[in-house]
Amino acid sequence: MNSLMQTLALVEMSITCAAVITLLLQKTTSQEFPLISKVLLILLISNLFFWPLGLGMELPLSAYVRGVIGDLSIVTTLLLWTSLLSVKKFTPLVFKFAIACIAITFYPLALGLGMIDPYAWGYGSTLFFIAVLLFAAVCGLANWNKGVWIIAIAILAWAAHWHESANLWDYLLDPFLAVWALIAVFGALYGKRKENARSGYLFRPG
Amino acid sequence: MSRVLALCFLLLAAVIGFLHIDSRPPWAPFAINAVTSVEEVDVPVSPKSKNQSISSKASIPSPISTWLPDTGAASVHAASLIALKDGAIRAFWFAGSREGAADVVINSAVFDPKSSDWSAPMVVMDRVSAEKGLSRYIAKLGNPVPARMADGRLQLFFVTVSIGGWAGSSISSVISDDEGLTWSNPQRLISSPLINLSTLVKSPAISFADGRLGLPAYHEWIGRFGEFLRIDAGQVIDKRHMSSGRSAIQPLVFVNNAQDATAYFRQTRSAGQAKQVPVSQTQNAGQSWQSEADLPIANPNSAVTGLQLNNGARILVLNNLETGRYRMVLMMADAKSGQWQTIEVLEDDEALPEDQRKEFSYPYLISHDSSDAHLVYTWDRKKIRHRYFSGAWLKRAQSQLDTPPVDVISQEAK
Repeated sequence: MNSLMQTLALVEMSITCAAVITLLLQKTTSQEFPLISKVLLILLISNLFFWPLGLGMELPLSAYVRGVIGDLSIVTTLLLWTSLLSVKKFTPLVFKFAIACIAITFYPLALGLGMIDPYAWGYGSTLFFIAVLLFAAVCGLANWNKGVWIIAIAILAWAAHWHESANLWDYLLDPFLAVWALIAVFGALYGKRKENARSGYLFRPG
Repeated sequence: MSRVLALCFLLLAAVIGFLHIDSRPPWAPFAINAVTSVEEVDVPVSPKSKNQSISSKASIPSPISTWLPDTGAASVHAASLIALKDGAIRAFWFAGSREGAADVVINSAVFDPKSSDWSAPMVVMDRVSAEKGLSRYIAKLGNPVPARMADGRLQLFFVTVSIGGWAGSSISSVISDDEGLTWSNPQRLISSPLINLSTLVKSPAISFADGRLGLPAYHEWIGRFGEFLRIDAGQVIDKRHMSSGRSAIQPLVFVNNAQDATAYFRQTRSAGQAKQVPVSQTQNAGQSWQSEADLPIANPNSAVTGLQLNNGARILVLNNLETGRYRMVLMMADAKSGQWQTIEVLEDDEALPEDQRKEFSYPYLISHDSSDAHLVYTWDRKKIRHRYFSGAWLKRAQSQLDTPPVDVISQEAK
């Protein structure tokens, strides 16, 4: 069971590495890759990451990446993977804002700022679980169905003990998702400020 | 329509999630060992020593001293012990060209109390085995801490690092069905939300009444604080902060009763703050901890070990200094008074010039029959020293506690 979990984690990490590289390649060109090209790229790169290549390395490439960054949360993984399907469907800013707010409260407390440890809630707090469900329901009511699916899959993965962690937080949030959300929020605020400044210049009286 | 589908799927996940929460074991009280009165304690037979320097006073043998087997490694550290079912003691420690080197392995050897001999050392875990078993890159290995599971198997927790120094540590564990001769594949314990970075172990685990283990651990990257992990086989099923901020690591837990426990820490405070042993207390079997007043024993940012004997007395081994690790002492507190007194100076290089003083650190204590004590500690990073204190010797030391103390804790902390 443990070896199956380890193999699946390496498969997941290989696909994630392939997705990141594909997205970076996509950024180099203004023309969107056709779906078939993306699928072929993912297949090729993920195989490179999954199988041991030798060349003096004791492990496959994905195991080195996993050693450094650990297992990504299901939410991050699915957001990354699905972003390959369509680059035009953006994640709502309000979701990123919520993630950023949660992260800047959660990490300092979990890392020893006080005796309250919100990370401990993830092991089985009913109230925390209800809060996660409400968050997902709000995503649905705000018409972001992808968010509902992703959070529901993360909950199922936690209940099935898909990763090594028994903590729901590890399926929902990780530092990379937090950093992505923070950059997006600050980027949006900066963009808004710039826009206001420009409109202020254009419409400044007399 | 797609929204309805998504919400229905969420409902399904919610039901499964609630069932999962419902299936989790409730938090259990601590398992407690019965405490017998001093008069009822039998004097056990002490093991024969090869290098005994026994005083002829009474018939109580002096503590014996041995060395853990030399593996040829230049640097050794972080020894720990566990009692085996046949009465022997198994030790674990890490050894390599230097602390944190890629060639560091976790060694083990068995002490036979009858012959007072250590077996040949064996390698329990090396870096490559760890990374293959854990399916991830491992740069180095660290502290090993053994525990006895409720079903009788041995579990060895050990620290691994993939990037950076010890602050980048995580805990993994292996399990043995044959008292440590062979071990399972390692399993990773997930205990931190920040890429699972920076959780380490040093002190012995304690048992809950439901058979699960409570593992005192600590975080030492952004914060430096104690954490109490509730372990079910190879996974963390709950955890709690034992302290906060950047001032206390390596908790050592004394269980007072089924709900009450006290933790003593290694202090990591900044300059200008008290260099004493920080204390936390729980009154609900570890579900929440509160910081208490320091134990007024000097601590130079070095590990503390201890155990409770079956007559209620407690012993501690530590460096009772504010700076340096050149002195190590054995202290005892009677169950009634709770007053800590030094009963034996184990090592002391105070008379030597500063640059010639050796480091005595990372003590680890266990008892085989709840009345005696086996101690191991790092001796100048080159060797691991083992000391054995018989039940009779400790009982005599306890009986002498009532005489006017020569070296009480208030003096230690000066």
